[in-house]
Amino acid sequence: MKIAVLGWELPPAFAGGLGIHTINLFTIISKIMEVNLYVPDAPGLLSKYPFQVTRINISPGDSNYGKSNDFYESVVKYNDLITTQFKNDISIIHAHDWITFRAGVKLKKMTGRPLVVTVHSTEYDRSGNFNPQRRIMDIEEEGIREADRVIAVSNYTKKIIHEVYGTDNSKIEVIYNGVSSSIYSNMEKNYDNTKRVLYFGRVTPQKGPKFFVEAARKVLTRRKDVIFVVAGTGDQLDEMKNSVRTFGMENNFEFTGFVSESYSLKIYRDSDVFVLPAVSEPFGMTVLESMSTGTPTVISKTTGVGEALSNVLRCDFWDTDKMADYILAILNFRPLREMMGKRGRIEAMNFTWDKAAIKTMGVYNSI
Amino acid sequence: MKSVVFFFELHQPRRLREYRSLDIGKGKGYFWDEKNNEIINRVSDRCYIPATQSLIDGNIKATLSVSGVLLENLVRMREDVVDILKEYFRKGGELAAETYYHSLCSIWSPEEFSFQVNEDVRLKKDVFNIKPKTFRNTEMIYNDNIGFMSAKEGFKNILTEGPDRIISKFNPNYVYRNPASQNLFLRNYRLSDDISFRFSNPSWNEYPLYADKYARWLSESPGDVINLFMDYETFGEHQWKESGIFEFLKALPEEARKRDVEFTTVSEATKHSPVSEISIQDYISWADYPRDLSAWLLNDMQRDAFEDMKSLSKCKDKRTWRYLQTSDHFYYMSMAGVQDQEVHTYFNPYGSPYDAYIFYKNIMEDFREKCKS
Repeated sequence: MKIAVLGWELPPAFAGGLGIHTINLFTIISKIMEVNLYVPDAPGLLSKYPFQVTRINISPGDSNYGKSNDFYESVVKYNDLITTQFKNDISIIHAHDWITFRAGVKLKKMTGRPLVVTVHSTEYDRSGNFNPQRRIMDIEEEGIREADRVIAVSNYTKKIIHEVYGTDNSKIEVIYNGVSSSIYSNMEKNYDNTKRVLYFGRVTPQKGPKFFVEAARKVLTRRKDVIFVVAGTGDQLDEMKNSVRTFGMENNFEFTGFVSESYSLKIYRDSDVFVLPAVSEPFGMTVLESMSTGTPTVISKTTGVGEALSNVLRCDFWDTDKMADYILAILNFRPLREMMGKRGRIEAMNFTWDKAAIKTMGVYNSI
Repeated sequence: MKSVVFFFELHQPRRLREYRSLDIGKGKGYFWDEKNNEIINRVSDRCYIPATQSLIDGNIKATLSVSGVLLENLVRMREDVVDILKEYFRKGGELAAETYYHSLCSIWSPEEFSFQVNEDVRLKKDVFNIKPKTFRNTEMIYNDNIGFMSAKEGFKNILTEGPDRIISKFNPNYVYRNPASQNLFLRNYRLSDDISFRFSNPSWNEYPLYADKYARWLSESPGDVINLFMDYETFGEHQWKESGIFEFLKALPEEARKRDVEFTTVSEATKHSPVSEISIQDYISWADYPRDLSAWLLNDMQRDAFEDMKSLSKCKDKRTWRYLQTSDHFYYMSMAGVQDQEVHTYFNPYGSPYDAYIFYKNIMEDFREKCKS
C-alpha cells in the first residue's frame, strides 16, 4: 500500500504542531507502508527523510503563517501545484487540515483513489468561535464531505465536525496525538514551591489569554507572591500586556516572548502549574508536554486531550473563579502538586506515536 | 443448626460542599445539605423502608448499625424510617454500636474513640431505648487494640473482615475469641460479595442468583456461622429493586430453613462457642483489595488532610471538627487500583479525588482560622 500524504511543514523547517505530527507519524507508518509526502519547499528541510518527500516549490518565504491574505494565496498556489506535480502510483490520499484539502479533493476526483483527511483544528477553533472565515470553512466543509474517512484528534473535535459540518459520526475516527519519548528522559521535577504559574502558547483569542489574566487577578487577591509567566507571542500580546498594566499586575507578570523547543521543557519544569484556558483547543499538545515534565495542569473543558486524562484539573474557560481556585490549590498544597505531577507524567506516557500510527493504518485498511 | 448472621450497615456522611479558596473567611457553610438531604431521602425510599419491611415480613433476624451522623438526620427528617427500625428491633432485630461520626478515631486517639462510641450509644438509647452489646468499628477496621478499647466500653461481640491472610488459617465460619475475650466474627467476604457486588452483574457466571441456589451455598459452606456483612444500601440502592434483590431477600429464609440453616442476630449466634483465639496486630478492614487502611490513608493527599484534621483537636468547635473526621471524606481522596477505584468513584460526589482533597483542605483552612478565635 502506498500513501500520498499532503502536508504543510516538516521539521526542522516548520512553524507549528502539524510538522511534529507529520514527521512522527509517518516515520513509523513508513516502516510498514510506502509513504510519499508532499510539502512546500522551504529552507531548512533536510536532504533525506525516512520516507519519500516531494517538495513543491511555491516561491520562497510563503510557507509560514504570515499575513492572512498572503497566507491564503500561498495555500491556493500550493494546492494547485500539488495536483500538477502529482504521481499517480498510490492507493490512498491522506490530506492534513484545510490547507491541503483542496488538492486532496481534486486528486481524489482525478485518480479515483480514496481520500482520508485529518482535522487537526477547525476554523471554529482557530477563530475562538469569533468571526470565522467563510472561505476557509467552505474548504473544510468540502474536504470533510468528499473524504472517505475523517480522522479527528479528539472526541471534542469529532463533535465539532459533526455539529458544524453535519458529518456522519461513523465516518469520523478519533486518533490522539503522541508525545515524543525524548521528553521523558528529562530529569525528575522537584516539587518545591516556585510560585510560578505558566501560560504557554500563542497569544491569540483561541487560547484564552484574557481568562488567564482574569484568573491571575483573582489569585493575587489571596497571594501576592505569585509570578505569572507568559511564554509565547501572538496578535493579542499587546492587549494582554495592557490589561496586566490596567490591573497593576506588572510586578507579578513575566513575558518571555517566543520560546525555543529545548528551553520550553525547562519553563514547564520550573513552574508550579501550567494553565491552558483555551476557548477551543482540538487537542492540546502542550498539556501532555507539561505533564511529561511532571508539572500539574489546569485546563479548560474545551481542550480535547482533557477528555482522555484524569490527572488534570478542568474548568470552563470562562469560569475564572474556579480556575483561580485550582491554581491556588496547586500553589498551596504540595501533596496535590506532587500527586498530580507524578501521576500525570505516567498518564502522559500513554500517548505514543506508535499508537497513533497503528490506528491511522487501521483507517487506511478500513477503506 | 447452622446460623447465618446478616449484618447491615446504615451510614450516610455529611458530604462537604465545593469549597473554594476564594470562599475562605466568608462564612460559607461546610456541609452540602441539599445533596445530603436528597441522598438520605432517596436511600430511605429505595432501601431503608422497603428493606426493613422485607426483614419484618420475612421474619429475618439480622443485626443493624446506624451511624450517629445518619441517625440524627433520620430523626430530623425521616421519622418513618426511625419508626420502621423501631418496629424491627422490637421484633427481634439487633442494634449494634459504632463511632458516632463513622470516623477513623480508633486508630489514633483512645480518648476520642471512647467519646464517639459513647455519643453513639447515647443517641441509640435516646432514639431506640436499646443499649447495644455488639460493636462494629468504622468500615470493619480492627486489630487487637480496637478489641481492647471496645471491650472497655462494655461490648461483648465485635465484627470485622475475614481477609485472605486471616482466613488462610482460620475458617471464617466459626465464632472466635479475641485477646480482649470478646466474641469475634469474621466476614465471609465471598458469600457477602455474591450479594452486595455480584448479584446483578450479568457477566458473573452464577448470574442470575436465586434464593434456592444461594441457600444451597450457605448450607454447603462448612462451619457454625456464616457472616454476611454488607452495606444496607445493597438492597435497593446499589442493587436496584428491578434486579429482584428484594424478592431474593424475602425468599431466602424459607430456602434456608429447608436446608436446616437459620438466620440469627450476632448476639444469638454466640450460642456457638468460640473455637479458638485469634490475635490480629496489623489493621484490617473490609475496604478495597488490600483490606487495610489504604482506602483512607494511602496517598499523600489523604495523609496530609488527615494530619490537618488531627492538628485541630484543641479547637473549641468540637462538633464541626468531628464531622470533618468522617472517614468518607478521606475515602473520596483515594486513588487506588483500577477495580477499587471504580468503587471509590461510584461513591465520590465530586467525581475526582483531587477535588475531594482541595475542598477538604480549603475547609480546613477556614476552620483553622475559626478555631483561633
